[in-house]
Amino acid sequence: MKTKSPFIKIDKISMWYPQKSKNLFMSIREERKWIKAVDQVSIELERGEILGVIGESGCGKSTLGKVLARLENPTNGDVYIDSVSTKELMKKDTKKFRRMVQIVFQNPFDTFTPRDTIEQILLRPLKIHGIGKTNAERREICIKALESGGLRPADEIMKRYSHELSGGQLQRISILRSMLFEPKFIIADEPVSMLDVSVRSEIINMLLTLSKEKNATVIFISHDIALTRYVSDKIAVMYLGKVVEYGDSDTIINNPKHPYTQALISNCSSIDPDEQREIIKIQGEPPTPVNPGPGCYFASRCFKASKECFQKYPAATEVSEGHIVACDRWY
Amino acid sequence: MNQLLEIKDFSVTYVNKSKKVYAVKNVNLKINKGDSLGIVGESGSGKSTLAMALLRLLPEKNTQITGKANFIGKDLVQLNQKELKNIRWNELAVVFQKSMNALSPVHRIGPQIEDIYRVHKPNASKEEIFSRITYLLRLVNLSERVYTLYPHELSGGMLQRVSIAISLVHNPKLLIMDEATTALDVVTQGQILDEIVKMEQTLDVTRIMITHDISVVAASCNKIAVMYAGEFMEIGYVKDVLKNPKHPYTRGLLSSFPSLKGEKLKLTGISGYLPNLSVKQEGCIFAPRCQQATEKCKQEKPLGVEMNENTVWCHLYSSGGELINEDQKPVYKD
Repeated sequence: MKTKSPFIKIDKISMWYPQKSKNLFMSIREERKWIKAVDQVSIELERGEILGVIGESGCGKSTLGKVLARLENPTNGDVYIDSVSTKELMKKDTKKFRRMVQIVFQNPFDTFTPRDTIEQILLRPLKIHGIGKTNAERREICIKALESGGLRPADEIMKRYSHELSGGQLQRISILRSMLFEPKFIIADEPVSMLDVSVRSEIINMLLTLSKEKNATVIFISHDIALTRYVSDKIAVMYLGKVVEYGDSDTIINNPKHPYTQALISNCSSIDPDEQREIIKIQGEPPTPVNPGPGCYFASRCFKASKECFQKYPAATEVSEGHIVACDRWY
Repeated sequence: MNQLLEIKDFSVTYVNKSKKVYAVKNVNLKINKGDSLGIVGESGSGKSTLAMALLRLLPEKNTQITGKANFIGKDLVQLNQKELKNIRWNELAVVFQKSMNALSPVHRIGPQIEDIYRVHKPNASKEEIFSRITYLLRLVNLSERVYTLYPHELSGGMLQRVSIAISLVHNPKLLIMDEATTALDVVTQGQILDEIVKMEQTLDVTRIMITHDISVVAASCNKIAVMYAGEFMEIGYVKDVLKNPKHPYTRGLLSSFPSLKGEKLKLTGISGYLPNLSVKQEGCIFAPRCQQATEKCKQEKPLGVEMNENTVWCHLYSSGGELINEDQKPVYKD
């Protein structure tokens, strides 16, 4: 038995959306159909750890992020931060929860309201959460934060509107704003995919330094596998709402066990032109997440699938320490 | 050598009432038959403008195109609309990032392609068209069934495959792919790139690939051109340029990509931003962001330096390699 419970425990969290039937008559007669965007995901994380979540589009990465930040209420399951149920916390003290968990979105141009200056945007949350007594004090906090993120002259930037800044600057402000409350848990949903390559690394490095400084746990959602490996300590591979493989990032990249991960990584092109790649071809596209199963969701595209794979969803097995694979034919 | 396209002193300027934006400036480029060239650079560096100008798809009212683009004996800059019509699809084809959006949602895939086929071959028989289209669909790894489907029945990756198939209906000599795989998933992108490379061997097309993702170029091209603020910084074979980048900008760009399997090196970006392209700048365009810039870089525009079949536009090498003449004729060593 474990003596110490993990810092963040995601416990069988699920997000199912009901599928609307086109036909009213059918909708009464038929059983209700569910789109299982996130299905029974359980992950445990320590303080300061960075978890990368990878997968194809539509596999539920972003929904997972939204559910963890409680922008959507999960159908089932719960998240415990420091053994505190966020479900309970959300009911009792929403503001406290919001201070603990912050989210950084993909598109920095959509993150900020175009009507307000950066100053207004940054001061408002501080005021709502009662940080700093006077406006001057709050301004001071913001200026310090902006300068720590390399946005100089901070005074000048505070006066501007969001459309007067570049995407890189905006994304930096977005990350800095989320850090203002010293959150324990940050969800970064594709924070750099909208940005230019030359700016990307600065944003990533900033996110890494800040989260290390504040000792925050980060979930880094991305479809860029090489970048995720660079950023994270652990990687979870998602397919149709399920985590199919989970482990240390180097183990996952260099020694993937699940056929889907193997295919995903073999298809990821490297910038090294000499690297020999042997592409594992998988057939077709992910099937719809409407009532999948009963077998392994990947079975229809899998190159290793056997009869059993179509009958029962494989149980998660621990291949080596901390390396979990949800496949019966991983060997 | 079998030259397909030669761009000489090619410039594209966007003009409006208040200012001029110099999007592409005096570019020189040669593409041989069978080459696959990848053009990479940040957004706003003029990659797409160059391609659109070559295709003559930019609005003529507010763009100025100067220079020469010699495409198998014809100057693309001087052609009139009628001549362009003859070239498009027949000899020059393009696939855009969202080419799939061009498909009509109310027609089946097959008849749509038939229409395109008939533009250049009005008298083609139905059987001929059908066999050609199904051949192309198979080539891009789609089943013949797609012929009778509607676009909404296909996924994004399949639709993009259809667009690639459409671009090949008349066996074009030059295919331009402007971020054609960017919107796709890793798995789909990897497979399509693989198919493109294989397809090229069977069909004998030359390809220009425009992308911001160097790994796409590494996986599918033999030559690479690095573009920055409307100018080429470095052109050469992929294996040389990516292994041994010469230009400081190429180096900066490469070091901002994490490697998939190699060591975890610290990512370093390029500080600063693209220069204002409406102002003509003295000296090397990259100098304000370059860490190795000297006084000379700020005053004098670097000329192309030829080094082992690769060309670098940087003062760092002006003494090391052989200088190219003013009219940019490459000097080959014996």
